[in-house]
Amino acid sequence: MPENTDFPSVPSATSVPKRRTHPSVVWIIPLVAAAVGVGIAIQRITSEGPTISIVFKSAEGIEAGKTFVKYKDVNIGQVTAVTLSEDFSKVIVTAKIAKHAEALLVEDAKFWVVQPRVTLSGVSGLGTLLAGNYIGFEVGGSTKKRREYVGLEVPPPITVGEPGRQFVLRSKDLGSLGIGSPIYYRRLQVGDVIAYDLSEEGKGIDIKVFVYAPYDRYVTTSTRFWNAGGVDVSFGAQGFEVRTESVISLLAGGIAFDAPPLETAAEPAAANASFTLYDDRVAAMAKPERMVAHYVLHFSESLRGLSAGAPVTFLGLPVGEVTNVSLEMEPQTFAIRGRVEAAFYLERMLAHLQQPAAAVGLADKVNERHALVQRLIDERGLRAQLRSGSLVTGQLYVAIDYFPDAAKASIDWTRDPPEFPVVPSTVADLEARLTAILAKLEKLQVAEIGADVRKSLAELTKTLAAADALVKHLDTEVTPEVRAAIADARRALGPDSALQLDARSALQEVSQAARALRVLADYLERNPSSLLRGKGAPAPSPEEHK
Amino acid sequence: MIGGVLTAARAGFICCEACGLLARPAEPGAPGHCPRCGEELVSRRHNAIQRTWALIIAAAICYIPANVFPVMKTTTVTGVDDDTILDGVVLLYTTGSWPLALIVLIASVIIPLAKLLALGFLLVSVQRGSVANTHDRTRLYHLVEFVGRWSMLDVFVDTFTVALIQLQPLMSVAPGPGVLFFAAVVVLTMLAAASFDPRLIWDAGAAPEGSHA
Repeated sequence: MPENTDFPSVPSATSVPKRRTHPSVVWIIPLVAAAVGVGIAIQRITSEGPTISIVFKSAEGIEAGKTFVKYKDVNIGQVTAVTLSEDFSKVIVTAKIAKHAEALLVEDAKFWVVQPRVTLSGVSGLGTLLAGNYIGFEVGGSTKKRREYVGLEVPPPITVGEPGRQFVLRSKDLGSLGIGSPIYYRRLQVGDVIAYDLSEEGKGIDIKVFVYAPYDRYVTTSTRFWNAGGVDVSFGAQGFEVRTESVISLLAGGIAFDAPPLETAAEPAAANASFTLYDDRVAAMAKPERMVAHYVLHFSESLRGLSAGAPVTFLGLPVGEVTNVSLEMEPQTFAIRGRVEAAFYLERMLAHLQQPAAAVGLADKVNERHALVQRLIDERGLRAQLRSGSLVTGQLYVAIDYFPDAAKASIDWTRDPPEFPVVPSTVADLEARLTAILAKLEKLQVAEIGADVRKSLAELTKTLAAADALVKHLDTEVTPEVRAAIADARRALGPDSALQLDARSALQEVSQAARALRVLADYLERNPSSLLRGKGAPAPSPEEHK
Repeated sequence: MIGGVLTAARAGFICCEACGLLARPAEPGAPGHCPRCGEELVSRRHNAIQRTWALIIAAAICYIPANVFPVMKTTTVTGVDDDTILDGVVLLYTTGSWPLALIVLIASVIIPLAKLLALGFLLVSVQRGSVANTHDRTRLYHLVEFVGRWSMLDVFVDTFTVALIQLQPLMSVAPGPGVLFFAAVVVLTMLAAASFDPRLIWDAGAAPEGSHA
């Protein structure tokens, strides 16, 4: 109802047919906004993965919102909360797992905290130094789902998907091995120790090792494993030899395996097959003895220094070992003697027969074997003898050798074990001879000889005393006289002695006489006639001529 | 207070919104177009209230994801951090810079909400034909219109950060879905403020006078 005030100067608007109004077009905007919002919300909710809880002993390095759950280094979730359990003894870590990883959350999946680990055999988890700890994840084989887990304190060593095989080694003790200790094949690391535990009876250690593919096929049924830790130092004819698998195994221990050198092809060992872990390579490579013959040896000499495990050698090479050392009484004579039981590894003696098959055959045919041994004893004089392995320690060993001069002996094969003929040891021989020499020495009349010597000595002493007296006499009686004679002589010859004066005046006389002679000679020279005429008138002297 | 003042509407004229020319409507039902600039003449904006309501509701819908979803996704070597606006406020507050936290809180959380509430209040009051506080309500409207553009500050910061901090592989920042919704909230409230016709505030006060006449 506008006021009807007339303003003629106000121009009149032009008239256009009225358009249809669109009252609600603008409402599309909130509808679109709502649609987008709801759409995103729905997408978020549907893409939401499951929430799981993991129980750990401590939450070291785990932070809500910062720590991830990683599988094969891919994030599959994030820790959303870290809380204490109701009794405050554990930590419950709540993590949200991505939707795409939901299928991994099976019953036997494993979780553990990954932190930097520095061990002798390597450094792992270095990435966590920068990025912080994360929760490692390992999928299991089950299909049952699970949402609540108990975290592992130690990471599982080998991932399930890793190709390779696991074996069990039985050992007396763990030695310096630990989880992660390397397994070597020809000094190439091909596996790890993944676990160890006491064997069920508690009498040994079961060491679980994992050998990676493709090296696992070199583990065959005949493979031997040995402890490769430490250094193997040996002195040989070639000199000083040091063997070690690697520096790491030197420090951290390790296991090596190989097939025995002469072993023919064997099929690969089954997974989880169990092997013996030998102490060293030599022990591992030693052939298992197939042909063992037990003998008993009776010695009637001292067995001090002989113990079970002492070697039995043949021409200096080990062919067996002593299994037992004891005393025995012979029923007939009641004589007590030493009884030594020994195992002979006959195969070693026969190993290089022309046909190995023949040697193997001997193992089966006991009688042929006995005949062979009997022949050696009869014809060649094969005997056992105790010998000293070391003069310092007195260790003894049993040597089998040929003694062609030995007394005849035979073996009663019906006894078990049969008795092997022995000869007395050279040590005992030596002892007897030494004793004989000593006895002879004892028989010598040492006392009489001593008395003679003493008598001679007394004589000698007397002689010496006489000589002494003589010397003293010379000293006291002869010497003063000599000294007086010398003084007289000196006096007689002194410058003012009469002798000297007389001599001097005599010499003057002589020289005067000589001068007179010279005058005469001169005169005669000038007046040779005077010799005939005599001295006339005095001839004018030369002075007078002048 | 201004009831007695003669307005164009009471005089039966229409002021062109584009060029400001006062014109006489061609017909009472269909005012027609401005004789000077050709702009359609409207005494009051078409469906102003309805349109404003629609925009406010859309903004309110967007306001929820804008605050729930992260606005920034920071990837560092230590991991990925999704931060919502409130996370940022909390972070600033816990790191000691509470004035900054307050600024972010006011600019990014309270002001959009306040704008929505203010526009809602204006619409409700207009629809109920309230005659009280017309002056204050006009001031409120101007405040809403003025403050609207500053709310984009958050979006700008986000954009710059994302563009500048790309230190692969050490650190990188990516926008989260929240920032889109936040921008939508700001734009929608600005549009809502623009589509609201402040003259409606006084119409209620003017109407009784006109009916008396």
